[in-house]
Amino acid sequence: MDQARWERIQALFHAAAELPDRERRPFLERRCADDPALVTEVLSLVEEDARPMLLDSGVAPAARRLLDDRAAPTARFGPYRITRMLGEGGMGVVYLAEREDLGSIAAIKILRDAWLSPARRERFAAEQRTLARLVHPSIAQLYDADTLADGTPWFVMEYVEGAPLTEHCAAHACSIPERLRLFRAACEAVQHAHRHLVIHRDLKPSNILVKEDGSLKLLDFGIAKQLESGDAPVDQTRTGLRLMTPAYAAPEQIRAGRAGTYTDIYSLGVVLYELLAGRLPFDLSDKTPAEAATTIAEQEPLRPSAMAAAVAERTGGNAWSRAVGRGAWADLDVLCLTAMHKDPQRRYRTVEALMRDVDHYLNGEPLEARPDSVRYRVGKFVRRNRGPVVAAATTLAVVITLVVFYTLRLTSARNAAVAEAARTQRIQRFMLNLFEGGDEAAGPADTLRVVTVVDRGAQEARTLSAEPAVQAELYGTLGGIYQKLGSFARADTLLRAALDQRRRLYGASHPDVAASLIALGMLRDGQAEYDSAERLVRDGLAMSQRMLRPGDPAVARATASLGQVLEDRGAYDMAIPALEEAARLQSLPGGDRADLAATLTELANSHFYAGHYAGSDSLNRRVLTMDRQLYGERHPHVADDLINLGAVQFEWGHFPAAERYDRAALEIIRTFYGPNHPETASALTILGRALVSQNRYEEAAVMLRDALTIQERVYGPVHPRVASALNELGRVAQEQGKLDEAEADFRRMADIYRALYHDRHYLIGIALSNLSGVYQERKQYARAEALMRDVVRRYAEVLAPDHTLMGVARVRLGRTLMLQQRYGDAAVESLAGYQILMKQSNAPARWLRTARTDLAEAYDATKQPEQAKRFRAELVSASAGAGGATR
Amino acid sequence: MVPRRPPSVLESESGAPELLLRDRRLLDDLFSLTYEELRRLAASVRRHDPSATLSPTALVNEAWIKLASSPPPGTISRLHFKRIAARAMRQVLVEAARRRNARKRGSGAALVTLDDGTDAAAAGADDVLALDAALDELAQLNPRQATMVESRFFGGLDVSETAELLGISEATVLRDWRAARAWLARQLRTPG
Repeated sequence: MDQARWERIQALFHAAAELPDRERRPFLERRCADDPALVTEVLSLVEEDARPMLLDSGVAPAARRLLDDRAAPTARFGPYRITRMLGEGGMGVVYLAEREDLGSIAAIKILRDAWLSPARRERFAAEQRTLARLVHPSIAQLYDADTLADGTPWFVMEYVEGAPLTEHCAAHACSIPERLRLFRAACEAVQHAHRHLVIHRDLKPSNILVKEDGSLKLLDFGIAKQLESGDAPVDQTRTGLRLMTPAYAAPEQIRAGRAGTYTDIYSLGVVLYELLAGRLPFDLSDKTPAEAATTIAEQEPLRPSAMAAAVAERTGGNAWSRAVGRGAWADLDVLCLTAMHKDPQRRYRTVEALMRDVDHYLNGEPLEARPDSVRYRVGKFVRRNRGPVVAAATTLAVVITLVVFYTLRLTSARNAAVAEAARTQRIQRFMLNLFEGGDEAAGPADTLRVVTVVDRGAQEARTLSAEPAVQAELYGTLGGIYQKLGSFARADTLLRAALDQRRRLYGASHPDVAASLIALGMLRDGQAEYDSAERLVRDGLAMSQRMLRPGDPAVARATASLGQVLEDRGAYDMAIPALEEAARLQSLPGGDRADLAATLTELANSHFYAGHYAGSDSLNRRVLTMDRQLYGERHPHVADDLINLGAVQFEWGHFPAAERYDRAALEIIRTFYGPNHPETASALTILGRALVSQNRYEEAAVMLRDALTIQERVYGPVHPRVASALNELGRVAQEQGKLDEAEADFRRMADIYRALYHDRHYLIGIALSNLSGVYQERKQYARAEALMRDVVRRYAEVLAPDHTLMGVARVRLGRTLMLQQRYGDAAVESLAGYQILMKQSNAPARWLRTARTDLAEAYDATKQPEQAKRFRAELVSASAGAGGATR
Repeated sequence: MVPRRPPSVLESESGAPELLLRDRRLLDDLFSLTYEELRRLAASVRRHDPSATLSPTALVNEAWIKLASSPPPGTISRLHFKRIAARAMRQVLVEAARRRNARKRGSGAALVTLDDGTDAAAAGADDVLALDAALDELAQLNPRQATMVESRFFGGLDVSETAELLGISEATVLRDWRAARAWLARQLRTPG
């Protein structure tokens, strides 16, 4: 038959099939006069058309018949006779066999259908070679191997009768330490394999059997991978042809088919999870493989402790898991989740390291593993959301750098509040410039502000209600970001949501709840609500101390947070010991060096505000050395340290030295962030300040205007950083006698703070104070006075009555009254200010001098010569003692 | 019967979407797709015969081995993949059937029967081999029809998928299928 004939047959077939039976033959005979053979041909087809045939039943029955073949090719394998089938896996069938001469039993594995492909035969042989080289009491032993006459390969190995690890533990209601010891034995076997360059690749409880005598055997190296050498190939080994067991497979194994020792470590982590929690981390039972892969790659598991609690609640069982205290659970969570971290780089590097931590746990020692930092989690979140977050790759890089950097430096935003405690106007300006607004990581130019990015993040976090733990984490992180962005209301909403969520998940007392309390406390700190801040942070700290080991980094961080709140409220004598304690904890072996550097920076700042410049200086030098080791020479942290060192030089009046530090910092920052970045703007501002102090106003003004331009473009017109730049420009203008410019600058500054802080923040007071200074220079004393009265009223609302700023404000108010010759009123204000300032451990000399001068003059004018004399004497002795320390 | 051509995933099918290979990572995607498809097949086995013991895993493995030992496939549509799975399934079954028949005709070693069902399997082997041979013949007469039967029978493609794969209408699929089915049935009854 040829194609044309077949075409003709088909046409006839379709036509004939439509006809009634008896009309077909006449029809065909008519049409096939030239080729009578066609008639029978077509009629036979029509006949077949009506009958059932093989194709109708689908392939399944045929496949079942052909593939579901339990027959062994022979009963005898060398000296062994098979007695029954034990099971079949992807690679072969395993039979139980008896060795007739010795009466011993063994397992025989044969490769059925070995003909199917050379690759299969090769893998079967590889398993055999693997077993041959692994001799370990916890690995089933290879006895013998050969090939049948028909080419079927087989090998004999130790028969292990036992229960899968998890079933054994459930049946014997093993305690957590018992479970961990069994798990450790499994780790030892895996470690042995790794030492012989073998990756198991299919670790799961059913491959880890516990025998009656309690000993353990690791089985099934069927898809094990032989590494070629000790190091390089560990990373890029493809999983190959066989089905993994998805529940225990690592994300990279499922997604990219990569396998290395790290995939085994992940699988061990899942086995441990199941042992601890009584459940697998993910329920994949109803998922397609693609869904399962997505879950494994993207979903964060519940902590084992939370899962165990949930299981216990549902079943009323899990006596073993309830015997573990909360602190111990926290360690088990870290241990287990480190082993099964989604990022291979963040898992235990070796099985030994995993075993060491198991030992540490069993011995009650601190673990070597550390939970993920916020920095890591935020970075990951940003990476995961890069698609929706940014349009262009360059933009993206900027955003990631910014957001990550910005979370890195939680230290900085809080320092905004530090300004409040500043002793002198110079320190105020310094703090405003240096720290105001935090590192909020402005958005890439005009196109996409970070706020937008974070808004989308928050939006997305709200959809994650199926994963409350992750959601709480994200709420917390994003809340922190909003806080740095100055969106306090949104920060508040999210941080509260995180706290509520965690209380629901974990109960009233839990390390995560403590972390949330502290985060909320730090928000209050940023809002200058210090009572509330201190209460929240103290609660969080106490909870952390109750729930965690003293060496836990979270305890140290909580202690540092308390130090910071105390610092921000001006209680340096209390802040310094708290920060010293945090630094001590972080200096212990295993402490986080980056945390330590941050704490020491804070400690240096506390000393700075307390006027201990030498102490601050030596701490800053220490931090500079640490940061250079941690981050390299040209990292922004190093630049910050240089700026802090410059600040001390500035206070000492060594302006050229300050300028050198500030220039070095500017250079690093400009290289790191580029010329148009807000960080660069900040550094420009600080350098400008050093220039102003050397009366180089024109130079300074150029830098400050550059800074302002950058900040307005990046942050928009209403932002703390813009306000801070305006403050500096205003001051330069005032020094140059450009009073209109100065007035405009300070006005805008005040307006910005009013808008940002709902008309209630000490920073508004600082702006108005400066504005009042301009009026004063213009001899508009009544206006100046009215402003200062407003400032005093504002401070009274938000600050402690004996706060330094209040002292300064009343002295300034006194000065405006003096200038109006209202000596009686002036004396009242100046004295009140003077008394407040005298309570400070390091009173700002300039304002003390102003107070004394004014008081002496006022008492003269009101005929109180004794009082006047007293303040004059003080003026003389103060200037003798202080030397050149004041300007 | 014409000589069998070696299977190749990259072999161009008439009307089938064909893309070039990119990287081996796609093997894993293919794998998960195969898995789903073959699971579906296996489930249908269980539906048709509740006592069936065929493990879906075994099916998947066999098919996957076929695929993975082929040259690395390119970026491939799900449909095209199904087409490939069908080819793999055909080959797995044909080779299993050949092997079984070879054993039946006597390779010296006695077959150890651990449970029953081998007779049925032997019968199935003949059917599959006959169908395979008939399909090769059909491919000579009309390659599209042979592809169609292979895809629908071994790969479980439905009518609309088959139509899409071959770039023809569903009516044409049904029409071609009917004729091919009748022809194959007759070939199986009277080979040659």
